[in-house]
Amino acid sequence: MKRTPVPADVAGTVWQIVVAAGETVAAEQELVVLESMKMEIPAVSPHAGVVREILVTQGEAVAEGQVLLVIDAG
Amino acid sequence: MSWQPELDELARRTAMAEAMGGADKVGRQHQAGRLTVRERIQRLVDAGSFHEVGALSGIGEYDAHGQLRHVTPANCVFGRAAVDGRPVVVVGDDFTVRGGSADASIAAKPLMAEDMAAELRLPIVRVIEGSGGGGSVKTIETKGASNLPGGIGGTRLFWRTTANLAEVPVVGLGLGSVAGLGAARLASTHFSVMTKASAMFVAGPPVVARLGQALDKQALGGADIQTRSGAVDLAVDTEDEAFAATRRFLSYLPSSVHGVAPVQPCDDDPQRADEMLLSAVPRDRRKVYKMRPIIEAVVDRGSFFEMGRNFGRSIIAGLARLQGLPVLLLASDPFHYGGAWGADTCQKVVRMVDLAETFHLPVVYLMDCPGFMIGLEAERSATIRHGVRAMAALNQSTVPWCTVIVRNAFGVAGAAHQPAGRFSLRYAWLSAYWGSLPLEGGIEAAYRAEIEAAPDPKAKLAEIEERLNALRSPFRSAERFWVEEIIDPRRTRALLCDFAKLAEPLRTPGPARLAMRP
Repeated sequence: MKRTPVPADVAGTVWQIVVAAGETVAAEQELVVLESMKMEIPAVSPHAGVVREILVTQGEAVAEGQVLLVIDAG
Repeated sequence: MSWQPELDELARRTAMAEAMGGADKVGRQHQAGRLTVRERIQRLVDAGSFHEVGALSGIGEYDAHGQLRHVTPANCVFGRAAVDGRPVVVVGDDFTVRGGSADASIAAKPLMAEDMAAELRLPIVRVIEGSGGGGSVKTIETKGASNLPGGIGGTRLFWRTTANLAEVPVVGLGLGSVAGLGAARLASTHFSVMTKASAMFVAGPPVVARLGQALDKQALGGADIQTRSGAVDLAVDTEDEAFAATRRFLSYLPSSVHGVAPVQPCDDDPQRADEMLLSAVPRDRRKVYKMRPIIEAVVDRGSFFEMGRNFGRSIIAGLARLQGLPVLLLASDPFHYGGAWGADTCQKVVRMVDLAETFHLPVVYLMDCPGFMIGLEAERSATIRHGVRAMAALNQSTVPWCTVIVRNAFGVAGAAHQPAGRFSLRYAWLSAYWGSLPLEGGIEAAYRAEIEAAPDPKAKLAEIEERLNALRSPFRSAERFWVEEIIDPRRTRALLCDFAKLAEPLRTPGPARLAMRP
Protein backbone atom coordinates (compact mmCIF):
# COMPACT_ATOMS: atom_id res chain seq x y z
CA MET A 1 0.00 0.00 0.00
CA LYS A 2 1.17 3.50 -0.83
CA ARG A 3 2.21 5.43 2.26
CA THR A 4 2.35 9.18 1.79
CA PRO A 5 4.17 11.28 4.36
CA VAL A 6 2.56 14.70 4.79
CA PRO A 7 5.27 17.26 5.61
CA ALA A 8 4.89 20.67 7.25
CA ASP A 9 4.97 23.33 4.54
CA VAL A 10 6.06 25.89 7.10
CA ALA A 11 7.98 25.94 10.37
CA GLY A 12 5.71 26.66 13.32
CA THR A 13 3.87 24.99 16.17
CA VAL A 14 1.11 22.41 15.99
CA TRP A 15 -2.05 24.42 16.70
CA GLN A 16 -4.62 21.68 16.20
CA ILE A 17 -4.69 18.05 15.10
CA VAL A 18 -7.90 17.81 13.14
CA VAL A 19 -7.97 14.09 12.31
CA ALA A 20 -7.38 10.87 14.26
CA ALA A 21 -5.38 7.78 13.31
CA GLY A 22 -7.55 5.35 11.37
CA GLU A 23 -9.80 8.11 10.06
CA THR A 24 -10.74 8.16 6.38
CA VAL A 25 -9.92 11.47 4.74
CA ALA A 26 -10.70 13.08 1.40
CA ALA A 27 -8.21 14.84 -0.88
CA GLU A 28 -7.60 18.46 0.22
CA GLN A 29 -9.06 17.78 3.68
CA GLU A 30 -7.45 19.66 6.59
CA LEU A 31 -5.35 17.27 8.66
CA VAL A 32 -3.31 19.40 11.00
CA VAL A 33 -3.35 23.14 11.57
CA LEU A 34 0.00 24.77 12.22
CA GLU A 35 0.53 28.19 13.71
CA SER A 36 3.17 30.20 11.90
CA MET A 37 3.66 33.96 11.54
CA LYS A 38 0.62 34.30 13.88
CA MET A 39 -1.59 32.61 11.33
CA GLU A 40 -3.33 29.24 11.26
CA ILE A 41 -1.96 27.35 8.29
CA PRO A 42 -3.56 24.01 7.50
CA ALA A 43 -1.71 20.97 6.17
CA VAL A 44 -4.09 19.23 3.80
CA SER A 45 -4.32 15.68 2.50
CA PRO A 46 -2.58 15.21 -0.85
CA HIS A 47 -5.10 12.49 -1.79
CA ALA A 48 -7.96 10.46 -0.35
CA GLY A 49 -6.92 7.76 2.10
CA VAL A 50 -6.71 6.62 5.68
CA VAL A 51 -4.63 8.32 8.37
CA ARG A 52 -2.04 5.70 9.27
CA GLU A 53 0.03 7.46 11.85
CA ILE A 54 0.21 10.89 13.49
CA LEU A 55 3.77 11.88 14.31
CA VAL A 56 3.30 15.18 16.16
CA THR A 57 1.48 16.39 19.24
CA GLN A 58 -0.42 19.59 19.89
CA GLY A 59 1.82 22.48 20.86
CA GLU A 60 4.93 20.84 19.40
CA ALA A 61 7.34 22.97 17.40
CA VAL A 62 7.90 21.60 13.90
CA ALA A 63 10.48 22.39 11.25
CA GLU A 64 9.71 23.10 7.60
CA GLY A 65 9.56 19.75 5.83
CA GLN A 66 9.08 17.71 9.02
CA VAL A 67 6.63 14.85 8.51
CA LEU A 68 3.40 15.50 10.44
CA LEU A 69 1.52 12.32 9.63
CA VAL A 70 1.32 9.45 7.19
CA ILE A 71 -1.62 8.69 4.90
CA ASP A 72 -2.34 5.37 3.20
CA ALA A 73 -3.85 5.49 -0.27
CA GLY A 74 -7.55 4.60 0.07
CA MET B 1 27.46 17.48 -67.12
CA SER B 2 25.20 18.20 -64.18
CA TRP B 3 26.20 18.18 -60.50
CA GLN B 4 24.31 14.95 -59.89
CA PRO B 5 27.24 13.14 -58.18
CA GLU B 6 27.61 15.95 -55.70
CA LEU B 7 23.84 16.08 -55.21
CA ASP B 8 23.95 12.37 -54.39
CA GLU B 9 26.77 12.95 -51.93
CA LEU B 10 24.79 15.75 -50.28
CA ALA B 11 21.89 13.33 -49.82
CA ARG B 12 24.20 10.62 -48.46
CA ARG B 13 25.82 12.99 -45.99
CA THR B 14 22.44 14.38 -44.93
CA ALA B 15 21.22 10.84 -44.25
CA MET B 16 24.29 10.25 -42.06
CA ALA B 17 23.46 13.37 -40.08
CA GLU B 18 19.89 12.23 -39.63
CA ALA B 19 21.05 8.82 -38.41
CA MET B 20 22.72 10.59 -35.47
CA GLY B 21 24.80 8.21 -33.32
CA GLY B 22 23.53 5.12 -35.16
CA ALA B 23 20.66 2.69 -34.70
CA ASP B 24 22.12 1.14 -31.51
CA LYS B 25 22.52 4.45 -29.71
CA VAL B 26 19.14 5.71 -30.90
CA GLY B 27 17.57 2.48 -29.66
CA ARG B 28 19.22 2.92 -26.29
CA GLN B 29 17.89 6.47 -26.05
CA HIS B 30 14.36 5.23 -26.77
CA GLN B 31 14.67 2.34 -24.32
CA ALA B 32 15.52 4.85 -21.61
CA GLY B 33 12.23 6.60 -22.37
CA ARG B 34 13.82 9.59 -24.04
CA LEU B 35 13.44 11.05 -27.50
CA THR B 36 16.35 11.84 -29.81
CA VAL B 37 17.28 15.45 -30.36
CA ARG B 38 15.71 15.43 -33.83
CA GLU B 39 12.45 13.98 -32.50
CA ARG B 40 12.47 16.59 -29.77
CA ILE B 41 12.87 19.47 -32.17
CA GLN B 42 10.18 18.03 -34.43
CA ARG B 43 7.69 17.80 -31.56
CA LEU B 44 8.58 21.21 -30.17
CA VAL B 45 8.13 23.31 -33.30
CA ASP B 46 5.42 23.75 -35.95
CA ALA B 47 5.25 20.75 -38.31
CA GLY B 48 7.86 20.89 -41.05
CA SER B 49 9.20 24.28 -39.94
CA PHE B 50 12.70 23.25 -38.84
CA HIS B 51 15.46 24.62 -41.06
CA GLU B 52 18.73 23.14 -39.88
CA VAL B 53 22.08 24.91 -40.04
CA GLY B 54 25.28 22.87 -40.19
CA ALA B 55 23.78 19.40 -40.64
CA LEU B 56 26.88 18.21 -42.52
CA SER B 57 29.29 18.99 -39.69
CA GLY B 58 30.95 16.17 -37.83
CA ILE B 59 33.97 13.93 -37.94
CA GLY B 60 34.54 12.25 -41.33
CA GLU B 61 36.27 8.90 -41.85
CA TYR B 62 37.85 8.18 -45.22
CA ASP B 63 39.39 5.08 -46.75
CA ALA B 64 42.94 4.85 -48.22
CA HIS B 65 41.63 6.26 -51.51
CA GLY B 66 40.08 9.26 -49.88
CA GLN B 67 36.57 7.86 -50.28
CA LEU B 68 34.11 8.79 -47.53
CA ARG B 69 33.22 5.91 -45.25
CA HIS B 70 31.16 7.65 -42.60
CA VAL B 71 30.54 10.94 -40.86
CA THR B 72 29.83 10.93 -37.13
CA PRO B 73 27.67 14.03 -36.82
CA ALA B 74 28.52 16.77 -34.37
CA ASN B 75 26.39 16.40 -31.27
CA CYS B 76 24.83 19.83 -31.56
CA VAL B 77 21.79 20.23 -33.81
CA PHE B 78 20.47 23.72 -34.41
CA GLY B 79 18.51 25.90 -36.75
CA ARG B 80 15.49 28.10 -37.25
CA ALA B 81 11.91 26.97 -36.84
CA ALA B 82 8.47 28.34 -36.06
CA VAL B 83 6.44 28.06 -32.87
CA ASP B 84 2.78 28.98 -33.30
CA GLY B 85 3.80 30.61 -36.55
CA ARG B 86 6.47 32.82 -34.94
CA PRO B 87 10.14 32.24 -35.80
CA VAL B 88 12.50 30.90 -33.12
CA VAL B 89 15.98 29.39 -32.88
CA VAL B 90 16.31 25.85 -31.51
CA VAL B 91 19.59 24.29 -30.38
CA GLY B 92 19.78 20.75 -29.04
CA ASP B 93 22.33 18.28 -27.70
CA ASP B 94 22.48 14.90 -29.42
CA PHE B 95 23.00 12.43 -26.59
CA THR B 96 23.40 9.53 -29.05
CA VAL B 97 26.75 10.96 -30.08
CA ARG B 98 29.23 10.53 -27.24
CA GLY B 99 26.69 11.26 -24.55
CA GLY B 100 26.11 14.83 -25.65
CA SER B 101 29.47 15.83 -24.23
CA ALA B 102 31.78 18.38 -25.72
CA ASP B 103 34.15 15.61 -26.89
CA ALA B 104 32.03 15.29 -30.03
CA SER B 105 31.09 18.92 -30.26
CA ILE B 106 32.04 21.66 -32.60
CA ALA B 107 32.11 24.70 -30.35
CA ALA B 108 31.11 27.04 -33.14
CA LYS B 109 27.69 25.40 -33.49
CA PRO B 110 25.99 26.22 -30.18
CA LEU B 111 27.68 29.61 -30.34
CA MET B 112 26.23 30.35 -33.77
CA ALA B 113 22.80 29.33 -32.52
CA GLU B 114 23.07 31.89 -29.70
CA ASP B 115 24.49 34.55 -32.04
CA MET B 116 21.75 33.87 -34.56
CA ALA B 117 19.04 34.30 -31.92
CA ALA B 118 20.50 37.61 -30.78
CA GLU B 119 21.16 38.96 -34.28
CA LEU B 120 17.84 37.85 -35.79
CA ARG B 121 16.10 38.95 -32.56
CA LEU B 122 14.43 35.58 -32.04
CA PRO B 123 13.72 33.50 -28.94
CA ILE B 124 16.07 30.58 -28.37
CA VAL B 125 15.11 27.20 -26.97
CA ARG B 126 18.01 25.16 -25.59
CA VAL B 127 17.21 21.43 -25.62
CA ILE B 128 19.81 20.16 -23.21
CA GLU B 129 21.08 16.68 -22.42
CA GLY B 130 24.62 15.95 -21.29
CA SER B 131 27.45 18.16 -20.13
CA GLY B 132 28.35 20.08 -23.27
CA GLY B 133 31.33 21.78 -21.70
CA GLY B 134 35.03 21.09 -21.81
CA GLY B 135 34.39 17.41 -22.32
CA SER B 136 35.62 14.62 -20.11
CA VAL B 137 39.04 14.46 -18.52
CA LYS B 138 39.97 12.23 -21.45
CA THR B 139 40.05 15.34 -23.60
CA ILE B 140 43.37 16.23 -22.00
CA GLU B 141 44.93 13.19 -23.64
CA THR B 142 43.24 13.56 -27.03
CA LYS B 143 44.12 17.26 -27.24
CA GLY B 144 47.47 17.01 -25.50
CA ALA B 145 46.73 20.04 -23.32
CA SER B 146 44.31 21.03 -20.62
CA ASN B 147 41.48 23.37 -21.45
CA LEU B 148 41.42 26.70 -19.65
CA PRO B 149 37.70 27.41 -19.14
CA GLY B 150 37.13 30.78 -20.71
CA GLY B 151 40.62 30.76 -22.19
CA ILE B 152 41.53 32.52 -25.43
CA GLY B 153 39.02 31.75 -28.15
CA GLY B 154 36.70 30.02 -25.71
CA THR B 155 34.80 32.84 -24.09
CA ARG B 156 31.99 33.76 -26.41
CA LEU B 157 29.61 30.91 -25.59
CA PHE B 158 29.94 31.69 -21.90
CA TRP B 159 29.20 35.31 -22.69
CA ARG B 160 26.15 34.52 -24.83
CA THR B 161 24.86 32.03 -22.25
CA THR B 162 24.05 34.94 -19.96
CA ALA B 163 24.06 37.95 -22.32
CA ASN B 164 21.16 36.64 -24.38
CA LEU B 165 18.90 37.05 -21.34
CA ALA B 166 18.94 40.76 -22.04
CA GLU B 167 18.17 40.28 -25.76
CA VAL B 168 15.65 37.52 -26.46
CA PRO B 169 13.46 35.04 -24.57
CA VAL B 170 15.62 32.07 -23.52
CA VAL B 171 14.04 28.74 -22.61
CA GLY B 172 15.99 25.74 -21.30
CA LEU B 173 14.76 22.15 -21.36
CA GLY B 174 16.64 19.59 -19.27
CA LEU B 175 15.83 16.20 -20.79
CA GLY B 176 18.07 13.56 -19.31
CA SER B 177 21.18 14.06 -17.20
CA VAL B 178 22.42 17.61 -17.37
CA ALA B 179 25.72 18.64 -15.82
CA GLY B 180 28.46 21.25 -16.02
CA LEU B 181 27.99 23.75 -18.84
CA GLY B 182 24.75 21.95 -19.71
CA ALA B 183 23.45 22.79 -16.23
CA ALA B 184 24.66 26.36 -16.61
CA ARG B 185 22.83 26.75 -19.93
CA LEU B 186 19.67 25.33 -18.33
CA ALA B 187 19.83 27.61 -15.30
CA SER B 188 20.71 30.70 -17.33
CA THR B 189 17.26 31.08 -18.85
CA HIS B 190 14.04 33.02 -18.40
CA PHE B 191 12.14 29.76 -18.07
CA SER B 192 13.48 26.26 -17.45
CA VAL B 193 11.74 22.91 -17.55
CA MET B 194 12.93 19.40 -16.70
CA THR B 195 11.19 16.06 -16.90
CA LYS B 196 10.78 14.26 -13.59
CA ALA B 197 13.03 11.47 -14.88
CA SER B 198 15.82 13.97 -15.55
CA ALA B 199 18.52 15.23 -13.23
CA MET B 200 20.59 18.39 -13.20
CA PHE B 201 23.74 19.07 -11.22
CA VAL B 202 27.01 20.92 -11.30
CA ALA B 203 28.73 17.54 -11.16
CA GLY B 204 27.20 14.07 -11.10
CA PRO B 205 27.19 11.24 -8.55
CA PRO B 206 30.69 9.82 -9.26
CA VAL B 207 32.30 13.19 -8.61
CA VAL B 208 30.10 13.93 -5.61
CA ALA B 209 30.94 10.50 -4.16
CA ARG B 210 34.46 11.83 -3.64
CA LEU B 211 32.95 14.24 -1.10
CA GLY B 212 31.60 11.24 0.77
CA GLN B 213 28.06 11.85 -0.49
CA ALA B 214 26.68 8.60 -1.88
CA LEU B 215 23.72 9.90 -3.87
CA ASP B 216 22.09 8.68 -7.04
CA LYS B 217 21.18 11.12 -9.82
CA GLN B 218 17.65 11.72 -8.56
CA ALA B 219 18.68 12.25 -4.95
CA LEU B 220 21.40 14.67 -6.03
CA GLY B 221 19.69 16.70 -8.72
CA GLY B 222 16.20 15.35 -9.41
CA ALA B 223 13.16 17.50 -10.07
CA ASP B 224 12.28 17.73 -6.38
CA ILE B 225 15.68 19.13 -5.53
CA GLN B 226 16.00 21.50 -8.47
CA THR B 227 12.48 22.96 -8.52
CA ARG B 228 12.57 23.58 -4.76
CA SER B 229 16.03 25.14 -4.97
CA GLY B 230 14.80 27.48 -7.68
CA ALA B 231 17.39 26.32 -10.23
CA VAL B 232 14.62 24.94 -12.49
CA ASP B 233 11.16 26.48 -12.85
CA LEU B 234 8.97 23.54 -13.78
CA ALA B 235 9.05 19.74 -13.63
CA VAL B 236 6.82 17.72 -15.95
CA ASP B 237 6.11 14.02 -16.51
CA THR B 238 6.75 13.84 -20.25
CA GLU B 239 8.93 15.55 -22.84
CA ASP B 240 5.78 16.53 -24.75
CA GLU B 241 4.62 18.49 -21.70
CA ALA B 242 7.96 20.28 -21.65
CA PHE B 243 7.47 21.28 -25.30
CA ALA B 244 3.90 22.43 -24.60
CA ALA B 245 5.10 24.54 -21.65
CA THR B 246 7.77 26.11 -23.88
CA ARG B 247 5.24 27.07 -26.54
CA ARG B 248 2.91 28.48 -23.92
CA PHE B 249 5.66 30.52 -22.23
CA LEU B 250 6.74 32.04 -25.55
CA SER B 251 3.16 33.01 -26.41
CA TYR B 252 3.22 35.69 -23.68
CA LEU B 253 6.46 37.28 -24.81
CA PRO B 254 7.74 39.43 -27.65
CA SER B 255 10.30 37.79 -29.95
CA SER B 256 12.98 40.02 -28.47
CA VAL B 257 13.45 43.09 -26.29
CA HIS B 258 13.04 45.13 -29.48
CA GLY B 259 9.33 44.39 -29.68
CA VAL B 260 6.27 44.09 -27.46
CA ALA B 261 4.25 40.98 -26.71
CA PRO B 262 1.42 40.10 -29.11
CA VAL B 263 -2.09 40.82 -27.83
CA GLN B 264 -4.46 37.91 -28.38
CA PRO B 265 -8.17 38.13 -29.00
CA CYS B 266 -10.10 37.67 -25.74
CA ASP B 267 -13.66 36.45 -25.35
CA ASP B 268 -13.72 36.74 -21.56
CA ASP B 269 -15.88 39.66 -20.40
CA PRO B 270 -13.68 42.38 -18.85
CA GLN B 271 -16.63 43.25 -16.60
CA ARG B 272 -16.91 39.68 -15.26
CA ALA B 273 -17.42 40.08 -11.51
CA ASP B 274 -16.95 36.81 -9.69
CA GLU B 275 -19.23 36.77 -6.63
CA MET B 276 -16.72 34.57 -4.76
CA LEU B 277 -14.34 37.52 -4.48
CA LEU B 278 -16.52 39.27 -1.88
CA SER B 279 -16.00 36.44 0.61
CA ALA B 280 -12.62 35.14 -0.58
CA VAL B 281 -10.69 36.63 2.36
CA PRO B 282 -11.81 35.34 5.78
CA ARG B 283 -12.81 37.99 8.33
CA ASP B 284 -10.71 36.15 10.93
CA ARG B 285 -7.22 37.44 10.26
CA ARG B 286 -5.64 34.27 11.59
CA LYS B 287 -7.26 32.24 8.84
CA VAL B 288 -5.63 31.72 5.47
CA TYR B 289 -7.31 31.47 2.07
CA LYS B 290 -6.40 30.22 -1.39
CA MET B 291 -4.96 32.86 -3.70
CA ARG B 292 -4.92 30.83 -6.92
CA PRO B 293 -8.74 30.83 -7.34
CA ILE B 294 -8.63 34.62 -6.87
CA ILE B 295 -6.06 34.87 -9.68
CA GLU B 296 -8.28 32.72 -11.92
CA ALA B 297 -11.23 34.96 -11.12
CA VAL B 298 -9.55 38.19 -12.18
CA VAL B 299 -7.36 37.36 -15.21
CA ASP B 300 -8.63 36.18 -18.61
CA ARG B 301 -10.17 32.75 -18.05
CA GLY B 302 -7.51 30.03 -18.22
CA SER B 303 -4.71 32.46 -19.02
CA PHE B 304 -2.59 32.14 -15.87
CA PHE B 305 0.71 30.34 -16.50
CA GLU B 306 2.53 29.80 -13.22
CA MET B 307 6.34 29.70 -13.08
CA GLY B 308 8.56 28.44 -10.27
CA ARG B 309 5.73 27.13 -8.11
CA ASN B 310 7.98 25.14 -5.78
CA PHE B 311 10.40 27.95 -4.99
CA GLY B 312 9.91 31.13 -2.96
CA ARG B 313 6.39 29.98 -2.38
CA SER B 314 5.17 33.05 -0.48
CA ILE B 315 4.86 34.61 -3.92
CA ILE B 316 2.90 32.98 -6.71
CA ALA B 317 4.34 34.25 -9.99
CA GLY B 318 3.58 33.79 -13.63
CA LEU B 319 2.28 35.20 -16.86
CA ALA B 320 -1.35 36.00 -17.52
CA ARG B 321 -3.56 37.97 -19.88
CA LEU B 322 -5.94 40.84 -19.27
CA GLN B 323 -8.22 41.32 -22.25
CA GLY B 324 -5.59 39.51 -24.25
CA LEU B 325 -2.65 41.65 -23.10
CA PRO B 326 0.17 39.62 -21.53
CA VAL B 327 1.19 40.74 -18.04
CA LEU B 328 3.46 39.49 -15.30
CA LEU B 329 1.40 38.50 -12.30
CA LEU B 330 2.66 38.36 -8.72
CA ALA B 331 0.37 37.26 -5.92
CA SER B 332 0.96 36.41 -2.28
CA ASP B 333 0.26 32.92 -0.97
CA PRO B 334 -0.88 33.10 2.66
CA PHE B 335 -0.50 29.32 2.95
CA HIS B 336 3.25 29.85 2.97
CA TYR B 337 4.18 31.72 6.15
CA GLY B 338 1.17 33.96 5.74
CA GLY B 339 2.77 35.39 2.59
CA ALA B 340 5.87 36.69 4.41
CA TRP B 341 8.92 37.17 2.23
CA GLY B 342 11.94 34.98 2.98
CA ALA B 343 15.25 35.23 1.14
CA ASP B 344 14.04 32.74 -1.49
CA THR B 345 10.83 34.65 -2.14
CA CYS B 346 12.82 37.87 -2.53
CA GLN B 347 15.06 36.19 -5.14
CA LYS B 348 11.97 35.07 -7.01
CA VAL B 349 10.53 38.60 -6.96
CA VAL B 350 13.79 40.01 -8.38
CA ARG B 351 13.86 37.50 -11.21
CA MET B 352 10.21 37.98 -12.11
CA VAL B 353 10.30 41.77 -12.01
CA ASP B 354 13.45 41.67 -14.15
CA LEU B 355 11.65 39.42 -16.65
CA ALA B 356 8.80 41.93 -16.86
CA GLU B 357 11.21 44.83 -17.23
CA THR B 358 13.23 43.06 -19.93
CA PHE B 359 10.21 42.25 -22.10
CA HIS B 360 8.04 45.30 -21.32
CA LEU B 361 5.33 43.33 -19.54
CA PRO B 362 3.02 45.34 -17.29
CA VAL B 363 3.00 44.01 -13.72
CA VAL B 364 -0.02 43.16 -11.57
CA TYR B 365 0.59 42.39 -7.89
CA LEU B 366 -2.17 40.91 -5.74
CA MET B 367 -0.66 41.63 -2.37
CA ASP B 368 -1.03 40.09 1.08
CA CYS B 369 2.31 40.46 2.81
CA PRO B 370 2.67 40.58 6.60
CA GLY B 371 6.35 41.51 6.24
CA PHE B 372 9.69 39.84 5.80
CA MET B 373 10.24 36.47 7.44
CA ILE B 374 11.45 36.80 11.00
CA GLY B 375 13.49 34.55 13.27
CA LEU B 376 16.98 33.09 13.37
CA GLU B 377 16.73 31.20 10.06
CA ALA B 378 15.55 34.36 8.34
CA GLU B 379 18.52 36.32 9.70
CA ARG B 380 20.95 33.55 8.75
CA SER B 381 19.76 33.61 5.16
CA ALA B 382 20.18 37.41 4.88
CA THR B 383 16.47 38.00 4.37
CA ILE B 384 16.86 41.73 4.81
CA ARG B 385 19.52 42.11 2.12
CA HIS B 386 17.60 39.93 -0.33
CA GLY B 387 14.56 41.96 0.72
CA VAL B 388 16.03 45.34 -0.13
CA ARG B 389 17.33 43.83 -3.36
CA ALA B 390 13.74 42.91 -4.26
CA MET B 391 12.64 46.40 -3.26
CA ALA B 392 15.36 47.83 -5.53
CA ALA B 393 14.13 45.69 -8.44
CA LEU B 394 10.64 47.14 -8.00
CA ASN B 395 11.99 50.66 -7.67
CA GLN B 396 14.20 50.34 -10.77
CA SER B 397 11.37 49.02 -12.91
CA THR B 398 9.82 51.26 -15.54
CA VAL B 399 6.97 49.04 -16.80
CA PRO B 400 3.36 49.94 -16.01
CA TRP B 401 2.43 48.64 -12.56
CA CYS B 402 -0.81 47.96 -10.71
CA THR B 403 -1.07 46.73 -7.12
CA VAL B 404 -4.17 45.37 -5.43
CA ILE B 405 -3.82 45.17 -1.64
CA VAL B 406 -5.86 42.10 -0.79
CA ARG B 407 -5.14 41.96 2.91
CA ASN B 408 -1.89 42.62 4.78
CA ALA B 409 0.72 45.28 4.07
CA PHE B 410 3.17 45.50 6.94
CA GLY B 411 6.68 46.78 7.43
CA VAL B 412 9.35 47.29 4.80
CA ALA B 413 8.15 44.27 2.76
CA GLY B 414 4.73 45.91 2.95
CA ALA B 415 6.16 49.04 1.38
CA ALA B 416 7.70 46.97 -1.41
CA HIS B 417 4.40 46.64 -3.21
CA GLN B 418 4.85 49.20 -5.96
CA PRO B 419 7.72 51.13 -7.57
CA ALA B 420 8.28 53.85 -4.99
CA GLY B 421 9.73 56.55 -7.21
CA ARG B 422 6.97 56.95 -9.78
CA PHE B 423 3.23 56.84 -10.34
CA SER B 424 1.47 53.49 -10.48
CA LEU B 425 -2.09 52.30 -9.95
CA ARG B 426 -3.18 50.93 -6.59
CA TYR B 427 -6.41 49.58 -5.17
CA ALA B 428 -7.16 48.22 -1.71
CA TRP B 429 -9.78 45.57 -1.04
CA LEU B 430 -12.27 46.01 1.83
CA SER B 431 -10.24 43.39 3.71
CA ALA B 432 -7.04 45.47 3.52
CA TYR B 433 -5.15 45.82 6.77
CA TRP B 434 -1.83 47.55 7.24
CA GLY B 435 0.64 49.20 9.53
CA SER B 436 4.30 49.71 10.30
CA LEU B 437 4.25 46.42 12.12
CA PRO B 438 1.56 43.93 13.13
CA LEU B 439 -0.12 44.75 16.46
CA GLU B 440 0.69 41.35 17.89
CA GLY B 441 4.05 41.67 19.58
CA GLY B 442 4.31 45.31 18.56
CA ILE B 443 2.02 46.51 21.37
CA GLU B 444 4.15 44.92 24.09
CA ALA B 445 7.15 46.81 22.76
CA ALA B 446 5.51 50.19 22.23
CA TYR B 447 3.34 50.30 25.37
CA ARG B 448 5.60 48.42 27.80
CA ALA B 449 5.48 51.05 30.59
CA GLU B 450 1.70 51.40 30.42
CA ILE B 451 1.17 47.63 30.44
CA GLU B 452 3.62 46.97 33.27
CA ALA B 453 2.06 49.71 35.43
CA ALA B 454 -1.46 48.29 35.05
CA PRO B 455 -2.94 46.16 37.85
CA ASP B 456 -3.97 43.57 35.22
CA PRO B 457 -1.35 43.71 32.40
CA LYS B 458 -3.22 41.17 30.27
CA ALA B 459 -6.42 43.14 30.36
CA LYS B 460 -4.48 46.31 29.62
CA LEU B 461 -2.89 44.68 26.59
CA ALA B 462 -6.30 43.63 25.28
CA GLU B 463 -7.67 47.10 25.90
CA ILE B 464 -4.85 48.76 23.95
CA GLU B 465 -5.21 46.25 21.14
CA GLU B 466 -8.93 47.01 20.84
CA ARG B 467 -8.25 50.75 20.91
CA LEU B 468 -5.68 50.50 18.12
CA ASN B 469 -7.69 48.07 16.03
CA ALA B 470 -10.53 50.55 15.89
CA LEU B 471 -8.11 52.94 14.16
CA ARG B 472 -6.94 50.25 11.74
CA SER B 473 -9.82 50.63 9.30
CA PRO B 474 -8.49 51.26 5.78
CA PHE B 475 -11.21 53.88 5.42
CA ARG B 476 -9.36 56.04 7.96
CA SER B 477 -6.22 55.76 5.81
CA ALA B 478 -8.30 56.70 2.76
CA GLU B 479 -9.52 59.82 4.58
CA ARG B 480 -5.91 60.91 4.89
CA PHE B 481 -5.30 60.00 1.22
CA TRP B 482 -2.64 57.48 2.23
CA VAL B 483 -4.37 55.07 -0.12
CA GLU B 484 -6.10 56.16 -3.31
CA GLU B 485 -9.03 53.78 -3.58
CA ILE B 486 -10.83 51.13 -1.62
CA ILE B 487 -12.81 48.85 -3.90
CA ASP B 488 -15.44 46.16 -3.97
CA PRO B 489 -13.24 43.11 -4.71
CA ARG B 490 -15.70 42.00 -7.40
CA ARG B 491 -14.64 45.01 -9.47
CA THR B 492 -11.00 43.81 -9.53
CA ARG B 493 -11.10 42.22 -12.97
CA ALA B 494 -12.75 45.25 -14.55
CA LEU B 495 -10.13 47.54 -13.01
CA LEU B 496 -7.23 45.29 -14.05
CA CYS B 497 -8.56 45.14 -17.62
CA ASP B 498 -8.80 48.92 -17.51
CA PHE B 499 -5.16 48.99 -16.35
CA ALA B 500 -4.20 46.74 -19.27
CA LYS B 501 -5.79 49.16 -21.73
CA LEU B 502 -3.89 52.05 -20.15
CA ALA B 503 -0.65 50.06 -20.08
CA GLU B 504 -0.75 48.73 -23.64
CA PRO B 505 0.47 51.90 -25.40
CA LEU B 506 3.05 52.57 -22.65
CA ARG B 507 5.06 49.45 -23.44
CA THR B 508 8.33 50.75 -24.84
CA PRO B 509 10.51 48.42 -26.93
CA GLY B 510 14.27 48.40 -26.46
CA PRO B 511 16.90 46.97 -24.15
CA ALA B 512 16.22 47.45 -20.45
CA ARG B 513 18.42 49.87 -18.54
CA LEU B 514 19.86 46.98 -16.54
CA ALA B 515 20.78 43.75 -18.33
CA MET B 516 18.92 40.84 -16.77
CA ARG B 517 20.97 38.29 -14.87
CA PRO B 518 19.96 34.65 -14.40
